[in-house]
Amino acid sequence: MKNTLLNLVWSVRNVFQRLKEKLHLNFNLPPWVKALIYLSPALLLLSLFTFYPIVNAFRLVIYTGYQLVRDVDGVLRESITGYTLIGNFVKVLSADNFILPSSHTTSSILLNTLAIVFISVPISILLSLFVAATLNSIKPLKSFFQTIYFLPYITNTLAIGLVFAYMFKSGDTGLVNQFFRIFGIEPVSWIERGATYWRAMAVLIAFGVWDGMAFKIMVFMSGMQGIDQQYYQAAAIDATPKRRVFTRITVPMISPMIFYIVVTSVIGAFKTYSSVVAIFGDTATPDGANYNLKTIVFHIYDYIYSGEDISLAAAASIILFAIILALTLVQMYIGKKRVHY
Amino acid sequence: MNKEQIKQIKRFENIIHAVDALFIVIYIGLFVYLFSQIIVPHTPPETFTNYEYTIFGMDIDTLVLNTWMSYLAIFIIITVPLTIISFKKTKYREFYEYNHYVATNYFVNAMVSLLVLNPASFVLKIMASHRILLQSEKYGFKEALKRIGHGIKNLFKKKERVVVEEDNELKRAIQKQTIVQFTRMFFSYLFLSIIALMIFIPFYWMILTALKTYYESNLTLSPRFFISLSEMQWMNFKYVLEEVDFSQYIKNTLFVGIISTTGTIFTTVLAAFAFARLEFKGRDTLFSVLLMTMMIPGELYILTNFLTVSQAGFGWIGGETGTNSYFLAMIIPFMTSVFYIFFLRQTFKQIPETLYKAAKVDGSSDFKYLTRVMIPIAGPTIFTITILSVIGSWNAFIWPRLITSVGDVNEGRGFWLISAALRDADFYTSGTNPRVMFNMQIAASAIVTIPLIVVFLLLRKYIMSGVGRSGTKG
Repeated sequence: MKNTLLNLVWSVRNVFQRLKEKLHLNFNLPPWVKALIYLSPALLLLSLFTFYPIVNAFRLVIYTGYQLVRDVDGVLRESITGYTLIGNFVKVLSADNFILPSSHTTSSILLNTLAIVFISVPISILLSLFVAATLNSIKPLKSFFQTIYFLPYITNTLAIGLVFAYMFKSGDTGLVNQFFRIFGIEPVSWIERGATYWRAMAVLIAFGVWDGMAFKIMVFMSGMQGIDQQYYQAAAIDATPKRRVFTRITVPMISPMIFYIVVTSVIGAFKTYSSVVAIFGDTATPDGANYNLKTIVFHIYDYIYSGEDISLAAAASIILFAIILALTLVQMYIGKKRVHY
Repeated sequence: MNKEQIKQIKRFENIIHAVDALFIVIYIGLFVYLFSQIIVPHTPPETFTNYEYTIFGMDIDTLVLNTWMSYLAIFIIITVPLTIISFKKTKYREFYEYNHYVATNYFVNAMVSLLVLNPASFVLKIMASHRILLQSEKYGFKEALKRIGHGIKNLFKKKERVVVEEDNELKRAIQKQTIVQFTRMFFSYLFLSIIALMIFIPFYWMILTALKTYYESNLTLSPRFFISLSEMQWMNFKYVLEEVDFSQYIKNTLFVGIISTTGTIFTTVLAAFAFARLEFKGRDTLFSVLLMTMMIPGELYILTNFLTVSQAGFGWIGGETGTNSYFLAMIIPFMTSVFYIFFLRQTFKQIPETLYKAAKVDGSSDFKYLTRVMIPIAGPTIFTITILSVIGSWNAFIWPRLITSVGDVNEGRGFWLISAALRDADFYTSGTNPRVMFNMQIAASAIVTIPLIVVFLLLRKYIMSGVGRSGTKG
């Protein structure tokens, strides 16, 4: 049975081979056609969901009053009221609460984002640097600690964000308040009714530090393992104090990594969204507070969810893109110079 | 040492692992069976109800059932890692590595087996310990016990101090150095432990809260940091899976994850091959264009992609109830990834070009070369990509949530993925003033988190090597 089948397959193949020879058909395709066949699945998807959206974002941003309207025959058509070059950007930037806090609130989107960038990022980088250096200096239990430190990276932001929200519950029911009570500090409200702006921000920053340390520690660790031991031996011969070894050898030697981490974490801080949703919900506001904790990306999703003015969402995301592009260029510029010792 | 006898010991070790594996299966089977027996109330369980069960002909109540399940869970948590570690160790252990340390190891393992109610494995491990001692140290178990006794006696005996004339200054310097070194070590470990504790406490609090009653999690002041085994409410997990429909959301997530990962692997392998091996005009330009898209924030795409999949484009979502295909909208845009193409291309490039030339000389086609040579060689990388992609889909939140939020909310609810469900599912108490039942919400978080941790611990090597090159999360 199996043989008959095989024979059949081979004879069919032979027929095709003869046909090919008789017709002088050359199946050796030119290289670019072959490449196109291999690339086509990826390129098709990428052009639909990556390249076209980029172009489209720049197209949408020049429209005013962009809307999708259903025709009489039931087909959706784009309708616009006019064109503008920078009108949408101006609208986004001057929107209530974007740069300046509006009259009834005490925070703005830009202030929130900058608070995260300038507090959460330095804390987590310094902490990860110390952890990585300490971890690099010990031998027993090293991989155990490494495993523990890596856990936050693979967890679901939403799941652990909800746990954080529960840990920071107000009154005596929250774990954090319970902990502070040991030191005689009265329980306060962190994320619920009555929370002050900085307390709510502290929770967000704590979560950012907790969540972000895993990746940083890993990168720093791999950087430190790549340092030539000779430097340390030379320092040991000179009896250099440990602190100076850290500041004069370790840090300069891994400065490219530190710089890479600075840029990626700043970008990451600009993109904070899921953790805000997890801890504060879709309003990004503790009950009854006169401020919110929205970030730039949160603002973009607000535009997308409301679906009212798509052009504004495009403008806001292009602004974000510009910020990230600038940061990346700075990184490339300094990374090329590599001024680290 | 006799090789033949070592072979026998190896065989013996295999039997031990088989017995351990059998017991693990029994534990898990029993746990699943008991879990399936739990009675779940159809209304939010605001008060603790003590149900009567008849299991294996015994009449027990919820407290006893909870205790049994807690014990089984503890047994599983202890046994599985120990067995895996022991299996890995024995696999690579050479015959000259069998010494009294291995024997001690087996002895300790035997004690653990006794604690997890595994008498068969206990007896076998004691026997293995005895045999290894006999083989390596030429004395048996009795002698070993005697020696331990002597050792302990010697420990309490006063040692005669050997007085040596030493340079006092040197002595002091050495002492000082030792003290400094010791304190440094101590503070290093203290610092690392404190940080590790800070990392770990949220996980601990999550699992603990997931096992508490509604009363304890929501209403008690100062929730306890430890609870007894009989108080562990395993019912919470079943309530979340069945009444809050998390089993449906997990199924959705797995479906989306597996299909989109398969698609991703298919498209990225082909594309990476083209970029790594095929010579065509504009290859490097195209590749750098692809790389450039990596720094564009996802928010820029999401806007247009949302229009593309909705009525303005393909019409996968936002239509009349019943005409929507949410899964298509969730899967198709994520069937490829520039980063994975880049990652795979790097690996493909490392495969020597000569292999490709040799295959060409032998008349094999490009496709055959790809499937027969490149994919097997790049297997570990492809596996890493698979894991990372599955984890990515498991954690996907923004896009799936956006997709299911348009149109009929009740229809979209059936297509939620777990992350969206964590935020939006109904964890509320009944009544006029519904409150979030934190124990249920956190139980759902635990259901989402624990599989990831298990996968991570099993496949740590692959995940960490992939993440090391990937850049930031999300």
